[in-house]
Amino acid sequence: MTAIVEGVFGLGQSEREAALLPALTELTEHHRAHCEPYDRILGSLGHARGADFGSVEQVPWLPVRMFKHHVLKSVPDDQVFKVLTSSGTTGAEVSRIYLDKEAAADQPRYLGRTLQAVLGEKRLPMLMVDTIGIIKNRRSFSARGAGVLGMANFGRKHVYALDEDDQPDVEAIKGFLAAHGDEPFLIFGFTFMVWQYLYEVAREHRLDLSNGILIHSGGWKKLIDRAVDNTEFRRRFAQDTGLTRIHNYYGMVEQLGTVFVEGPSGNSLYCPDFADVVIRDPETWAEQPVGVPGVIEVVSTVPRSYPGHALLTEDLGVVHGIDDGDWPGKRFSVLGRLPRAEARGCSDTFSGGAA
Amino acid sequence: MSKVQQRFPAGPDVEVDTLVAELSGEPAGGRLKVGDERVVDFLVKFARKLLAPATARRYPELASLGFFLRRGEIAKALSTMETRGDALRFPRGLVFHVPPANVDTIFVYSWALSALAGNPNVVRISSRSAGAAETVIEALNEALADAHPIIAETQRMVTYGRDDAVTAALSAACELRVIWGGDRSVAELRKHPLAPNARDLTFPDRASFAAISVAGWQAATAEQRRDAVIGFYNDSYWFDQAACSSPRTLFWVGDDAAARLGREEFRGLLGEVVASKNFVVEPAMAVQKRVSAYGVAAQGHATEIRFDGNAVATLELADPSAVPREWLGVGTFPQAALTSLAEFAGIVQRKDQTLSTFGFSRDELVDFANTVAGRGIDRIVPFGSALSFAAVWDGYDLLSEFSRLTTVSV
Repeated sequence: MTAIVEGVFGLGQSEREAALLPALTELTEHHRAHCEPYDRILGSLGHARGADFGSVEQVPWLPVRMFKHHVLKSVPDDQVFKVLTSSGTTGAEVSRIYLDKEAAADQPRYLGRTLQAVLGEKRLPMLMVDTIGIIKNRRSFSARGAGVLGMANFGRKHVYALDEDDQPDVEAIKGFLAAHGDEPFLIFGFTFMVWQYLYEVAREHRLDLSNGILIHSGGWKKLIDRAVDNTEFRRRFAQDTGLTRIHNYYGMVEQLGTVFVEGPSGNSLYCPDFADVVIRDPETWAEQPVGVPGVIEVVSTVPRSYPGHALLTEDLGVVHGIDDGDWPGKRFSVLGRLPRAEARGCSDTFSGGAA
Repeated sequence: MSKVQQRFPAGPDVEVDTLVAELSGEPAGGRLKVGDERVVDFLVKFARKLLAPATARRYPELASLGFFLRRGEIAKALSTMETRGDALRFPRGLVFHVPPANVDTIFVYSWALSALAGNPNVVRISSRSAGAAETVIEALNEALADAHPIIAETQRMVTYGRDDAVTAALSAACELRVIWGGDRSVAELRKHPLAPNARDLTFPDRASFAAISVAGWQAATAEQRRDAVIGFYNDSYWFDQAACSSPRTLFWVGDDAAARLGREEFRGLLGEVVASKNFVVEPAMAVQKRVSAYGVAAQGHATEIRFDGNAVATLELADPSAVPREWLGVGTFPQAALTSLAEFAGIVQRKDQTLSTFGFSRDELVDFANTVAGRGIDRIVPFGSALSFAAVWDGYDLLSEFSRLTTVSV
């Protein structure tokens, strides 16, 4: 397992940037050559074709919401193999991410390599903190369903912790633990569901999760009301269920295949070797020093079929340190979302359904 | 049944049918007349409250409203209603106003003019209304204390949720339905039928522009240029550049080389004004501006984008005829050079509302208006006046719309 960790979470910051910069520069040129709207954007901003960038920070970025309003793809129409969509926080708007065959094959490979760093190579019995309904109903296939389906590949003998009415299925969970609870097993779910449906049930029924490895994502917004942050989440799981191997991760459909994973000691996300984060000052857009919050930019060498290699997210984050944690590189946290920009316009009496 | 919350006059929730019945009856003090003194008195008292220094400082837009409703201004507006020949003017009847949720004051202008025309009115106030709108409602209720009782009998402002039954009942009962708030609101409200004799007055989505005469800019003094930029700042940064009359694209009309010099100077001055006003662009808005500006470039409509901090963004349009008409975020200005106003006339569409101008002579602008001939652009105003409401709006003479004519040709 150590060798694999080194294969994915092995590069110190200066080596990482030295490796990323030429790759990102090449990707920028590749996307300019194959995605005309992207080339127009960079051209209008004064970036010359074939330009060198002095650092990863200087590679031009796109706001992630561009994928909600524009077709941005670097493959010809007849080679589009799959179009991924995700509902954002804004309801009707969805991102459209275009993949050719190669890209469609690449994404799970990168994701797999990254997650194997914490899961090991063997596929483990897997408890899904969700309902089977989320993947059964293909017609209303949601981002949540896609996440569940994508993750299911990393385990075997899947058991769903919720019944089809989204209620905790205590007998199913107990059955899973009876069969697999004394060997390493995998737990996956969205953060608030893991808390609401697994933690609370496990505490009430005194379930032993000490052999589990929890992988979770989705943000803390819904848990703020319950005064649960990452530290509290880990503390309570350890205290009440024995579960200590917990890895939060951060990623988005616009950069699929790239996830930033929480290290073993918790509270910091790490970048796989083919990716990095740049925390930007929302006034100057320059990189913030360590410890100063800003807007998160995610960079990755994975996106080749669409210009998603340098994306400004709508999340706030902070880098806690560089080359000083569980794994090399930057370690950071996501602090929350930027509020949506709303204008006082003349036009919207009925929009959004509010009166 | 369907209840509404009574905001003005403040009162208990009431059934919409009761509300309609109350407004349809014969008021105790006799029906309102066109230019009724009881309404004028009430509006003047209300305006005084808006002009109180604390209120006017907090909400400059309420001060503008207060000025609009001073006795002299009202008299000027009413003078336009005098009739000639055989015509006699009377109130139209019950008017139902549906203003937008997030321009806090437009409902007052719409309502006040209709009340001056002598109509009973029901105004739907958004449940999302806040700030200035709340202050307006408080001021109205305070002014009611020493107003003639007919005001309370005939003028109502109500809030209700997404209750189609209320909208349907008010639509069926009114003689005129006034729909602000853009295309979607118009489409939404039109699902509810009006009585055969009634009609809609609609204010759909609009786009507005600014134009500077290069020659006029060159002839202006440094001080006049700076004042122009302050006016432009007020026009565009108030309401986050999202009001229908906020200018978005800025056209420079005249010699191209001189225009380039002017644009650089203008940009510098705008940066200074924005800084002096301490205008802050929130990070989410800053991102929105980039999303919009990059989007215009992605479509091939902008050749150059410049950001001077988060507050000022300019886009060079590839072709002035492909001018963006959507909101791009506060402080985002597409720019293009035109040889003449006649060239702009070729770009104008029905959707276009206000042209804010600097440096043109009145004759030039009248010529331009004659060239466009009503196919778009309903208002041509100087810099600094884009947001000033007027009794003629979107091409309608509102007092005339709010009244009817009876002719006696015997």
